[in-house]
Amino acid sequence: MATDFWTSTHYKQLLDQEEVDTVHSLDKERGITLEDFKLIKLHMTNYIVRLAQHVKVRQRVVATAVTYMRRAYTRRSMVEYDPRLVAPTCLYLASKAEESTVQARLLVFYIKKLYSDEKYRYEIKEILEMEMKILEALNYYLVVFHPYRALSQLLQDAGMSDSTQMIWGLINDTYKMDLILIYPPHLIALACIYVASMLKDKDNTSWFEQLRVDMNMVEKISTEILDFYDYHKTISEEKVNAAMMKLTMRM
Amino acid sequence: MSNRGNSSGSGSNSNISSSNRPEWLQQYDLIGKIGEGTYGLVFLAKIKSNRSKSIAIKKFKQSKDGDGVSPTAIREIMLLREISHDNVVKLVNVHINHIDMSLYLAFDYAEHDLYEIIRHHRDKVNQAINQYTVKSILWQLLNGLNYLHSNWIMHRDLKPSNILVMGDGEEQGVVKIADFGLARIYQAPLKPLFDNGVVVTIWYRAPELLLGGKHYTSAVDMWAVGCIFAELLTLKPLFQGQEVKATPNPFQLDQLDKIFKVLGHPTVEKWPTLAHLPHWQTDQQHIQGHKYDSPGLYSVVHLSPKNPAYDLLSKMLEYDPRKRITAAQALEHEYFRMEPLPGRNALVPPQPGEKIVNYPTRPVDTNTDFEGTTSLQPAQQASGNVSGGMGPHVMPTRNVPRPMHMVGMQRMQQQSMAAYNLASQAINPANIPMQRGVAAQPHQQQQQQQLRRKDGMGMPGYPQQKSRRF
Repeated sequence: MATDFWTSTHYKQLLDQEEVDTVHSLDKERGITLEDFKLIKLHMTNYIVRLAQHVKVRQRVVATAVTYMRRAYTRRSMVEYDPRLVAPTCLYLASKAEESTVQARLLVFYIKKLYSDEKYRYEIKEILEMEMKILEALNYYLVVFHPYRALSQLLQDAGMSDSTQMIWGLINDTYKMDLILIYPPHLIALACIYVASMLKDKDNTSWFEQLRVDMNMVEKISTEILDFYDYHKTISEEKVNAAMMKLTMRM
Repeated sequence: MSNRGNSSGSGSNSNISSSNRPEWLQQYDLIGKIGEGTYGLVFLAKIKSNRSKSIAIKKFKQSKDGDGVSPTAIREIMLLREISHDNVVKLVNVHINHIDMSLYLAFDYAEHDLYEIIRHHRDKVNQAINQYTVKSILWQLLNGLNYLHSNWIMHRDLKPSNILVMGDGEEQGVVKIADFGLARIYQAPLKPLFDNGVVVTIWYRAPELLLGGKHYTSAVDMWAVGCIFAELLTLKPLFQGQEVKATPNPFQLDQLDKIFKVLGHPTVEKWPTLAHLPHWQTDQQHIQGHKYDSPGLYSVVHLSPKNPAYDLLSKMLEYDPRKRITAAQALEHEYFRMEPLPGRNALVPPQPGEKIVNYPTRPVDTNTDFEGTTSLQPAQQASGNVSGGMGPHVMPTRNVPRPMHMVGMQRMQQQSMAAYNLASQAINPANIPMQRGVAAQPHQQQQQQQLRRKDGMGMPGYPQQKSRRF
């Protein structure tokens, strides 16, 4: 149901890591590796965030847009669905789904302003056509649950309200990974609290214990987040560009 | 087995089944157009692989302002893909035609809606809807609404034409709430609800909305249910205000006046937050000017104040939204525990000897194809029952102002009506747990089957059914 995660289509659609990490055969033919695949999705997440800042939509719209983009690439190839078109289209679709509709021409305006590279330049018509393809790729499942939902309550309960900003930022960063496709959002929220507790040297063991959640899972997600931060340091613009270059041919 | 030639009465379909239809449309046989609205068209079709199943296909036009799929369609798809309940319309498929960028939603087809049922009683049979039917419809409507509300979904546009009733078939007489274009999840809205524009058709609009309330709740749906309940009893809209179309705000003086006349003026004593509502303050001379202090609801609906039906109705029409009865509470009301008990098949009362009304089937314009192109031939009358399934949210040929218009449509004749005097089914709501989710349903259906009774055959004075189906 739309507000109960456990009966939602979001829950039913959660995937395994292996499924998420499968590079589409068409993309493989272009020489795109798993690392390239992840880099491009990360790069596109940043693109959505940047664009969203200009058209002024809230974080929830951004989170939904990134989720759409990542879900779409579990089923579609990047060669056929150019990420430079998919990313703004997902923001466009998410803005409608989250009741903050952004006009397509406004997106096109800011895309032109942000990128001189003409590979990024798409017209309204192309966004509208891609919108329908994305709807199809998502199998028309549009409701997405996010870790932000229960956050303030959890933080209050854990006595960590003073860390709200830090944890909010950690959650934002989880969208640079595929966690939202794999784990229930409340576990992602708890993992972020767990990471923050570690960083702040705050012992929350007893609080986590009384939550009756799968702590192995929370720790696993936490490890992935920390690994991601380590990995993130090694990312260079050249690496991203090299991965993007493999997609050069525009459809 | 009926075929299309049969059900449309002539070979006029040749212009419909154009061969260059996209592949996804080939799985359907188009019967014709059954409705039209601002968003697009509604078609009746049969699934080729299962011709006993009818579906309604709602086609959304690409908006002209170059903004892609309409947010209304997005919202409707988004909600309907998540929800599943006996008393909520079932979205069976979504299709996209990339060539003309149109979007199609396929629903189980429902032959009737409350607008047509009420109109039939008022204008054709000149007789009240029987108590069993009123109660069964209301119970199922509340059951569906309780499911939506307990999942934090507000419908926001409940009105008789959006409440469908299944025709002939295994779900005969089952009520389905339809048209989720204005519905929304209200747990974590990004924008204040008010920003979505004015919602709810004026006659069914709750007083807190009419007075400019910005943060309204699911109680607005319950007000609409109250209005619909009264209309089922009297066959007339309860508060038939004149809408002032020009105003962009929801303030409708005439509508408020109609409400106050029947219910008396609201007071700050009974409704404390009334004082905070924008229009209550700013339009004092108009709203608070003339007082109606003798509430006369019972005389309007011809019910004794002691009647449980009246008690339930007055609780739905409570001014203060916080005191208004909820769907869950209403389902527990004494009214539903008294004879006649509500049943699953709202159209066929379980008591033998009860009169069964044959409602007309939906008119079908067989000369319109999926592109909405109409041929110049005169409209054909569809005959034969377009049965089963559930349906569209719109109906043609209205004699009351409605947001749609259809050309060349006529109502069916008596002999072509579906016969309803078949095996009836009764359920005792006291035995049936309230449905809250999908998981509860298989068990419930089983229970309903056990409770099914076979009676009520061959009512005197009504045409014998041509075929019996069990």
